[in-house]
Amino acid sequence: MTRRVFAVVAIVLFGFVFATLATSYTEQHSLRRLAESYVQLVPQKLGAPNVITGILLTYRAFDTLGEVAVLFMVGAGVVLVLNVDRWPHAAAHSSEEPRPSSEIVQSGAQFLSPLIAIFAAYIIMNGHLSAGGGFQGGAVIASCVLLVLLVYPHYQLNIEFLTITESVAGVLFVLTGIAGVIVAGGFLDNRILPLGQFGAFFSAGGIPVLSILLGIKVGCELSVILDGFRPGPVGQKDKV
Amino acid sequence: MMEVIGSIVVLLGAGFHFSAGLGMLRMPDAYTRMQAGTKASTLGNTLVLAGLAFYHPGWGLKLLIIVYFVLITNPISSHALARAAYSIRIPLAGNTGIDALRDEQQNLRSKT
Repeated sequence: MTRRVFAVVAIVLFGFVFATLATSYTEQHSLRRLAESYVQLVPQKLGAPNVITGILLTYRAFDTLGEVAVLFMVGAGVVLVLNVDRWPHAAAHSSEEPRPSSEIVQSGAQFLSPLIAIFAAYIIMNGHLSAGGGFQGGAVIASCVLLVLLVYPHYQLNIEFLTITESVAGVLFVLTGIAGVIVAGGFLDNRILPLGQFGAFFSAGGIPVLSILLGIKVGCELSVILDGFRPGPVGQKDKV
Repeated sequence: MMEVIGSIVVLLGAGFHFSAGLGMLRMPDAYTRMQAGTKASTLGNTLVLAGLAFYHPGWGLKLLIIVYFVLITNPISSHALARAAYSIRIPLAGNTGIDALRDEQQNLRSKT
């Protein structure tokens, strides 16, 4: 009975909170000053129709670099913590043979994974033109890897290749930023390359380059993280 | 006119989604619930997207791709879920008459 009363009280309180939110909401008819300057500056100075990518990969690219570093640390932490074979009581678990997936699932994955990879490439390449960008595309790549790992439990990711690719992409990202210091206005400035025609595929200076590097880096990092969630020592699964 | 047709098709799709939700709540075991969720929501999605295509004929190709994607992924994922549920022996509803997968496996075993 008391639980009922508590539930009713909680619902009423939530209703009160949401009602005040709903009644006090007024639609903004003009942009705030910061937003307005971004909306004007990004297409003018950076030549990118997608304002958000312009902000993320130029004005706040340093912040994006920090985010990728955080993701890298997450990957390292997952691999460190979930390295199941170091745990003594996990041996019984990991020796269990995974059931092979059915033929329907296998054909479906064979059909879908190339399409997902193409979609990821599309998202990354069009980051400066439409919704998307490196982070989102990298996540889609990782979802493709996840599909393959789910369907083929014995599939071996080449962890060394992924780690090296990821590091190279990170180094190139920073080098692109340094090139901005030398050639253009500052660290990670996108005007290291010609801006090109507004809205064209090859435009917006260095933004597509950064976007591609970011996509590769995020995709590799997330794939390594996903691999860390499988049983067995990292990088040499199923070498029994 | 096109908008009215589109709205009716979307409403029809919403009806199928509703029946999917109803099936999830009312069906007796995991398999029938999965079946209700998959079949009804696949058709519901298709109808909602078709209705959108009436509203915006220019989006037709993109919507077709999405429909295609849903038509592939929805049955495959529910097949995988149902198969996993069967292999960890989640029980069927009491009044289930036919278990074709069990019969098949028994046939295979008796042959070898």
